[in-house]
Amino acid sequence: MERELVVTGVGGQGIQLLAKTLALAATREGRHAMLSADYGGEMRGGPSKASVVIGDRPLRALPVLASAWSAIVVHHRFSEPALARLRPGGPAILNLPLVAPASLPAMTTYGVDAGAVAKSVEAPQAIGFVLLGAYNAVTRLVDPASLVAAMQELLPPYRKQHAAANARALAAGAAVLDGPGADLTEVSR
Amino acid sequence: MTLELLEGSEAIATSAIAAGCRFFAGYPMSPFTGLLENMSRQLPAAGGVCLNAESEIEGVNMTLGAAAAGARAATGSCGQGIALMQEAIAEAALNETPFVVFNMARNQQDYFQATRGGGWGDYRTITLAPKDVPEAVEHAQLAFHLADKHRAPVIFYGDPLLAQTRIGVSVRPLDFGPLPPKDWALDGTGGGTGRSRQVWTWAMGKATDPGPGPDRHWRAIAEKFAAIDAIETRSEQAHVEDAETLVVAFGSAAKFVEYVVEELRADGHRIGWFRPVTLWPFPGGALAAATAGVRRVLVFELNAGQMLDDVRIHAADRSAVRFIGGVSIAESGLAYGDLMDAPVIRDRILTACSEGGRS
Repeated sequence: MERELVVTGVGGQGIQLLAKTLALAATREGRHAMLSADYGGEMRGGPSKASVVIGDRPLRALPVLASAWSAIVVHHRFSEPALARLRPGGPAILNLPLVAPASLPAMTTYGVDAGAVAKSVEAPQAIGFVLLGAYNAVTRLVDPASLVAAMQELLPPYRKQHAAANARALAAGAAVLDGPGADLTEVSR
Repeated sequence: MTLELLEGSEAIATSAIAAGCRFFAGYPMSPFTGLLENMSRQLPAAGGVCLNAESEIEGVNMTLGAAAAGARAATGSCGQGIALMQEAIAEAALNETPFVVFNMARNQQDYFQATRGGGWGDYRTITLAPKDVPEAVEHAQLAFHLADKHRAPVIFYGDPLLAQTRIGVSVRPLDFGPLPPKDWALDGTGGGTGRSRQVWTWAMGKATDPGPGPDRHWRAIAEKFAAIDAIETRSEQAHVEDAETLVVAFGSAAKFVEYVVEELRADGHRIGWFRPVTLWPFPGGALAAATAGVRRVLVFELNAGQMLDDVRIHAADRSAVRFIGGVSIAESGLAYGDLMDAPVIRDRILTACSEGGRS
């Protein structure tokens, strides 16, 4: 079975890195993965979108997804075209409060205040990894340890000092769903 | 088989080097730049040379020089830059110097440029059009094999999706069979002996060792390309046996068409697809056979209708051919527009099918 994820938001939120981390984690687990990135020349502040497809066989999905099973909505701006392609019922992680909790009524949505979670583990720059941790806790697409390893592999030498904080963000994002007293807002299911 | 998550440009560069490419020269131009960057990163460690040339003209002529010396050599750009390279490509076709031109194109508007020659003289360029990154990895090596086999420049026709999509692939050297020795290469071994070699478009030879001259040489070149036309066509097709409608597409567009046609088959439509893998030589015989029993032949390409000419030439009934593609460019001018999208292609196919009965 192929699972598709679209990640949408604004350049600078960590969208491309989180998508690449998931795709690399799946690849390192010996699975098939595809990553398509779509962002403007602005880098920060412009539209940023990525799609990841993971499967156990050579993939059938196109680099421009006809439809997608799941989503991580990091910001509501620019998100409409990507979200219009979601198949109803699949999981969607919403970055509260930037994304309205009532968004995507046809999906199984999970609201995560990624900014607050990231700050709580002293990783304020790593909201993307909080959302990825939460997404993987819901979908269990890859082993959480694979995400940490992929994140570490992707960091260039001059960013290695962020590896520990990023790992905390991934774990904290997962704990939003798994841990006791989690502030997960399950908007609909 | 271990898969590596590689961007298309990196996968293609890695594959070309695995095929023995040891010289690369080009000038940056999106979406070709990624290939040049990856060649620049990887070639020195493989014992090769990568040069950022002053322009595309210098890049292709440096490549011609390296290839004439016997190296597996390549250049690249996108269609706009390859327009500048046409003189050198024509010379190489006529003086039989094998190298590869990677057209990491911005769209599908370079079909005529790739398949009709573009310089002067009676020649064509073998053109491979992979549909996705895994096939691009194979074609990056096949291109060098075909170039050496036929002593001719070969074009690899890529696009932004092939250049920029990251996908798990395995790159290893592929064996396409034996090749003739490069006993024509200007490797310096004949210097000072009176038997130094020449690579010359006019084939006049030397006073002490006359060549065949342009008349005989260019006749032989024309015959060589006719022979290539007869043996090197490649194509792929599915669901042709019971199809009422056949959709023809190349490159990435063919991957999208294949996806849509499989969905339409699942919905009960009698529809199939055909893909020329080599754009030149065009698989005309295979297309004629595939179209023999169909009611309509739909051509989908992201240009104003270029491959359409070849489909009309070879379809069993040219009056059955309809064009459902069109020009579609992103606002940046650097990538495909909205037409490269499965739901849009599906609508176009269904609309064409409704004009004259059920598919």
